[in-house]
Amino acid sequence: MQPDELSRRLAPLLGERLIGVEPYPDTAGRVRFRREGALDLFRALRDDLGFGQFSTVAGIDWVDHREVVYVLWSDAAKQYVLLSADLPADSPRIESASGIWPSANWHERETWEFLDITFDHHPDLRHLLMPDGYAFHPLLRSFKLHEPEELEVKSRHV
Amino acid sequence: MSEMWINMGPQHPMTHGLWNLRVKIDGEMILDVDPEMGYLHRGIEKISEDRHYNEVITLMDRCCYVAGFSWEHLYILAAEEALRIAPPERAEYLRVLCDEFQRIGSHLMWYAAFVQDLGLMSPFLYGMRDRDLVLDLFQSYTGARMTYEYMRVGGVRSDLPPGFTDRARQVIDWLEARFNEYDQLTLGSDIFRKRCDNLGLLRARDCIAHGVTGPMLRSAGVKRDLRKDRPYSAYDRVEFDVAVADGADVTARYLVRLEEMRQSLRILRQVLDWLDRHPGPVIAEQLPRWLGAPYAPIGREGYLLKRNFPKGTGFSAIEEPHGEALAYVVNEGGEHPYRVKFKSPVFSNISAARQYLVGYHVADIPPIMGSVDVCVGEVDR
Repeated sequence: MQPDELSRRLAPLLGERLIGVEPYPDTAGRVRFRREGALDLFRALRDDLGFGQFSTVAGIDWVDHREVVYVLWSDAAKQYVLLSADLPADSPRIESASGIWPSANWHERETWEFLDITFDHHPDLRHLLMPDGYAFHPLLRSFKLHEPEELEVKSRHV
Repeated sequence: MSEMWINMGPQHPMTHGLWNLRVKIDGEMILDVDPEMGYLHRGIEKISEDRHYNEVITLMDRCCYVAGFSWEHLYILAAEEALRIAPPERAEYLRVLCDEFQRIGSHLMWYAAFVQDLGLMSPFLYGMRDRDLVLDLFQSYTGARMTYEYMRVGGVRSDLPPGFTDRARQVIDWLEARFNEYDQLTLGSDIFRKRCDNLGLLRARDCIAHGVTGPMLRSAGVKRDLRKDRPYSAYDRVEFDVAVADGADVTARYLVRLEEMRQSLRILRQVLDWLDRHPGPVIAEQLPRWLGAPYAPIGREGYLLKRNFPKGTGFSAIEEPHGEALAYVVNEGGEHPYRVKFKSPVFSNISAARQYLVGYHVADIPPIMGSVDVCVGEVDR
């Protein structure tokens, strides 16, 4: 699958919410979209374009805004596709993909925990790698490695 | 009305690492499970933002401590794409050599731990004995048995020592004969078959929906292997078959891993022949000074010359011994990566635990989790 084919098939569905599809080496392309189109885009990719596996989601803190990068895999095309959306720093939230691909569940939990990106309608958005009640989001640029943080760790099951 | 939650872990023989499997049981039946991770979280992604590109390699060895080479390879591929550096061909073959010996080392570790979970003590010792031969080979050209720090952005640190390929061929011949003995010890045993057949079923559809990859996916009959489907390094220049089985149970995962080790030996023979015939440089010439000369220690003084690279991102995917591993590296022109993201296959495989554990008995948990091949280091990072 080529970027122009992806763009041709996604544009009628998403309209304004699709910013563009740019080529990316060894993948089907990098789809840039507005977060309002997330669910429609996910459904189209899974049902019409054959991207049956959600591989991961990565968050990036650009200080003035945040970015989420999704990676999906298609067994038919034997290709990855990257999806990327910018989220404003004052309300970093996007629709959860875990209703469409169950595998998104843990990846979204991790991204929320480390980058404070909220996934709306996620079934189980709680801490995964950090203890419950951990108040920081360590992968934000504002979290400095060399400054000690005060931390009170609560037991998970009392 | 006797439902309750019990903890298997964080210290439990079943876990093979530091994590906690919370299990909801009614008598002996498993009603629900909730894996708890994070006991081994070291913040590798965060620390990487504060390290030079080559210093991250040290952390990669600690990501999965039984498959260090695979993780080095994964990171290096993404970093090279982000920095637009190409390695020489010999380095690509050397990386495949590392990867495939590592796959055997990792699968032998899995074999030893898995059969021990089933109560078979002698195969455990055989598995560990044979893994040691692979570690000896690693030691002979990297100096380390587990944390190698061998690959570099732009190539690998050093070439093989004299006589290595002959020693490696001896190990390959030895291992090939041993794998048949493994099968006799396990598949030939009625007790093994009774404990493992039709256990921990996870069909192809559920595997894909829950992101389960690697030997678990191939044991459900899906012929997906990134070495074939999306070849990296020298994998498009070697011949091998993708191991598949269709049982989707614990026995099928055993069959797939054993066959994978045999295929790895096949790849290694071709790689060793190629390496014998094609001497050459093992690291790209004209690297910026801060990326380090091949033999120079990675010292601070090497980095003083700050050079701005064009910005870019790197995305890589490799078939790690446990499945599909991904890396995403963002290069913002500085000497440190701006952001590094790793996706571990075991992370997804464990997240689907509810799918392959619920409905079985408590005593089935060790063989099922054994067949998943858990490595907590790469889940928690």
